Amino acid sequence: METSRPVVVKRVPERVNLKEAREFLRAVEPILHSDRPQVVFDLSNVRQLDSAGVDMLLHCMSEAMKRDGDVKLAAPSDEAMVILELTRTGRLFEIYDTATDAVRSYSSFLPNVMRQFSAPQSATISFPGAGPKAAASKVEAAEKSESAA
Amino acid sequence: MDVRAILLIGGKPEASSEHFTGVPLAMLDLLGASLLNRVTHRMHQQGISSIAVISEYDQFPDRHLSHDLRWFKATNGQFWRFAEAVYNDFAQNGAELIVVLRLNSYITVDYEKLVQFHLDHHSRLTRVFDKQGEALDMFVISASRRNDAAFVFRNMLERFRVPPEVFFLDDNQNRLQTVADFRRLALESFTGKNGIEPQGEQIKPGVWVAPGARVHRDARIVAPAYIGAYARIRALAVVTRGSVVERNAVIDCGTVVENSTVLPFSRIGAGLDVSFSVVGFRHIYHLQREVAVEVADARLLDMASTSVTVRALTDMVNLALYMPQALLANLREKRREIPATLPEAIQATPPSLTAAGVEHQDRADRHFAPELMAARRYGNE
Repeated sequence: METSRPVVVKRVPERVNLKEAREFLRAVEPILHSDRPQVVFDLSNVRQLDSAGVDMLLHCMSEAMKRDGDVKLAAPSDEAMVILELTRTGRLFEIYDTATDAVRSYSSFLPNVMRQFSAPQSATISFPGAGPKAAASKVEAAEKSESAA
Repeated sequence: MDVRAILLIGGKPEASSEHFTGVPLAMLDLLGASLLNRVTHRMHQQGISSIAVISEYDQFPDRHLSHDLRWFKATNGQFWRFAEAVYNDFAQNGAELIVVLRLNSYITVDYEKLVQFHLDHHSRLTRVFDKQGEALDMFVISASRRNDAAFVFRNMLERFRVPPEVFFLDDNQNRLQTVADFRRLALESFTGKNGIEPQGEQIKPGVWVAPGARVHRDARIVAPAYIGAYARIRALAVVTRGSVVERNAVIDCGTVVENSTVLPFSRIGAGLDVSFSVVGFRHIYHLQREVAVEVADARLLDMASTSVTVRALTDMVNLALYMPQALLANLREKRREIPATLPEAIQATPPSLTAAGVEHQDRADRHFAPELMAARRYGNE
């Protein structure tokens, strides 16, 4: 299944604090307010991400989902990934190794999902810089925190 | 016999990895007391009368550290000159033997046995090796052998004028060269693999709590774990899988600390997930990713003052400000308009459909096949 709708890739700045997050949000708001927005945030440059930055990412995702769109993350730096894991938001986003993979995922989403259902071992979503062990530990941690809650 | 000791922190090019955000690993608390503190305590117990520390770093506040410890801060260029000067000072003031130890590993040494070995072999210089035959940066030097000592210090403990006598330990060394080593040492301490004992009371198997620590009744501590003195674990927090929360640290509500060390005076915000990390001094070091991240946001990580007075004042100010802030926030909050009749609100066309120009159809007109299933993705799941 192919989609003709454009996918917008935005590079997130190096520091994402309250001020930078507001500016970035102002820049992406028109895209998020379009019909079924397909957005990829490239986090490869991010060196500092704080709670305002995480809040901004979640806000973007919620805005996109209100309009049946989605926000995906690409090539997160280790610094960004540590904060996303710390704030438990990493598991809410689809995360890809490269922006190209993230863009491609929009057009090939449905077949991938079907492939996942038919053969679970061929899942295409990866955790950059972590590997299957880390992915397993994430799931374990999620289950643990859920059971703790 | 007058035996004194010189402890060295830093001093070598490879020592650049032996610290966490500028604080040497040997000076960080590990299950209630720093390795420096444990080593000096053991030395005092075994009759070493005077100890000098030569460090490239400032002294970190440690309430357990002996007050008669002499601390010399030396920059890299002067480090070994300082060591030589302290050695000469000890020798002039009546020391007979001087133990020199660089704190890049944790070892359990029987100093009496070591000194006796040195004397029995009429040695000028004795070097300590671990059980596997690996050389340690630990020496016993006769105080009268100043030239030998000067040569050793000028060559950063790597070359000698005369071959040293070799003393083998009964144990292996526990390396302390990276943050991962520091974390591993904590985990091994829980299993009793090294001589490090948690400073506190074992309240249930595998869970140690130091005096003054406060654990909320809704918090969960899963063994093995250590909660340091005056640490606070707030409601619904979970400390599990060999985690260590050092003195005066605060774990806020709902936060999960898993296989991690939280260093003294650190405050971890609410609802976070700290795993495979060492956290402190507003930094988080992720052990799997091997990356240290500075977190400037106090809502995530913060550092309390090391001064009791400042901490008490801060708590009082926060308490005084809490009520007015809560009142203001309540006044500012916009009240949501709740529809009087909920079914009507549910039946109404969603704004997204209206904006997209999709015509609304009555629910009765919609016909779905009974085998149709709708699924919504949720992130990676």
